Amino acid sequence: MSATSATLPARRMAGWAMTALPWILLAILAILPLLVPSPNFTRLLFMTFLWTTTSIAWNLLGGFAGQVSFGFAVFYGAGAYTTALLMNAGVNPLFAFLAAGLTAALVSLIVGLPAFRLRGPYFAIATIGISEAVRVVMTNLSFTGGASGYRILEHRPFRQLEHYYTALLLAAIAFAISWKIAHSKFGLGLKAIRQDEDAAADLGVNPYTYKLAAHALAAALTGMAGGVFARYAAFIHPGGVFGFHTSVHILLMPVIGGIGTVWGPVLGGFVFGIVEEEIVASFPEIHLLLYGLLLIVIILFEPGGILGGLRKLVRRFRDHR
Amino acid sequence: MTLIDFTNLLVSALLLAGIYAVMSVGMTVIYGVMKIVNLAHAGFMMLGAYFALELFQRFRIDPIIAALLAFPVLFFLGAAVHWVLLRRLPRSDEPTLPSLLLMFGLWLVLQNLGYLIWGNTDRSIFTPRTLSVVSTVRLAVFIAAVGCLLLLEVILHYTWFGRSVRALIQNRYAALLTGVYEDRTAGIAFGLGIGFAGLAGGLLGSLYSFDPDFGRPFLIRAFVIIVLGGLESISGVAIGALVLALVETFSILFVPAGYQLAISFGLLALALIVLPGGLASLLAKVRRVA
Repeated sequence: MSATSATLPARRMAGWAMTALPWILLAILAILPLLVPSPNFTRLLFMTFLWTTTSIAWNLLGGFAGQVSFGFAVFYGAGAYTTALLMNAGVNPLFAFLAAGLTAALVSLIVGLPAFRLRGPYFAIATIGISEAVRVVMTNLSFTGGASGYRILEHRPFRQLEHYYTALLLAAIAFAISWKIAHSKFGLGLKAIRQDEDAAADLGVNPYTYKLAAHALAAALTGMAGGVFARYAAFIHPGGVFGFHTSVHILLMPVIGGIGTVWGPVLGGFVFGIVEEEIVASFPEIHLLLYGLLLIVIILFEPGGILGGLRKLVRRFRDHR
Repeated sequence: MTLIDFTNLLVSALLLAGIYAVMSVGMTVIYGVMKIVNLAHAGFMMLGAYFALELFQRFRIDPIIAALLAFPVLFFLGAAVHWVLLRRLPRSDEPTLPSLLLMFGLWLVLQNLGYLIWGNTDRSIFTPRTLSVVSTVRLAVFIAAVGCLLLLEVILHYTWFGRSVRALIQNRYAALLTGVYEDRTAGIAFGLGIGFAGLAGGLLGSLYSFDPDFGRPFLIRAFVIIVLGGLESISGVAIGALVLALVETFSILFVPAGYQLAISFGLLALALIVLPGGLASLLAKVRRVA
């Protein structure tokens, strides 16, 4: 009995801490570039925010609903190219980002409408197919420069902090959406679909529309991240934004952090964002090998990712006390 | 288009279909028995191609024979992979998220090993026959492919192992009840699937140039074929391979070659919308109506 009375306030404290944590984190990240005025550090964080956004987005579909996609580069690239084309046509960047999200969501319907009609591996298979097909088409498309890429001309001075705060805001929005979904009826529906589609359908969840909605939402976030990246980079090419490695990175982060959780993809995004800079800088020739081994090890030994491992440690610590 | 052009295209489509069937049949066997989508298929195809290249360059072994030799080597490699990795996955009647991610990780590892060992330059297996007027290479590849498929059919229908495989494909629980030893059957089946991947890679290596990333477009084609075939049907694979080969070959008349993969994907989407059970279900429906 004493155990429950002791843990109850502790639990409430933990609950408050979890609610306050995102805000504290946001505040720290908002002032960090002002405290450490290094363009390299700011760029690292900027990229980390974009990666985290895509990681959270992938998790909405792959983690909550259990639908693995190997083709998120399609949305990233679609967003990047939409933003690039619109900005060169003189559209305000903010509207260009929104349009990027919208385009990516529309593209997600093209994949999802046929593939979600069926259960099982069809969706995962279709995502590899479409990402390859789209990359090939974009490489051959002439009005976007084909394989040689596309340049964005912005007639304004380059201000890194503006980009930084855009990315931070986008990551915060993505997190808020993920948080809201995890604590909503929609999120429960997605979870039910992951566990048992028939049971979910019996309880009045329409798996088809739920999956389509989660896919579109994830695509929109990924597309906007692609758009923000395109504006920062000012040059994009199909081998980069539509590249297979982009899909690999996006899928890897939530798996590293902890699939199907709110914090896992954030953790994964930060770990990946920072490690990627280091790994690519020092061992470019074996980074696929490292990522592959990491995937295998995580799946075989700790399917819960870093977050799952931490939780296990905490539990063991508590039990031994 | 003259009749001769048409015949030419038809023949080349047929020859292509043979090798497409070999590369997809392994995937079907693996999916049927273990309900695992073998994303690493492309990686093993790449290994098969380089294996044939090494044998050809070092020991002057005929590339077709070398491809056939790749089969047993990759068979044991596949059985080892099953024993080390796949045995540890939880069993399921549907492809699970962990199995997809595991095979994906394996693919990345294989691909990177390829880059480390052979670098990223394009390689090709070039023999005096490669450029001969009547493409004997294509014919030899086709004969090897069809021979191996027939052998597989015989194994599946007339051996105890083959019956176990078919039982597991049809109904896993019933198979277990009748005393099918799942672990061993799955191990051999996976080895067999990987062996076919290696063979297909070796054969493709005599037709096209390749680099460590060479399997990916073929992986997508293999997906299209097994979806057309209805995922678990061996004879469905043959039909699916033929359909894809015909569509790809004849589409060259209307669409630039660069867009071929987009055609494969279009076919996949069409199959998913119109024929979720694959071509086999269509045939069954036609039979029922008749």
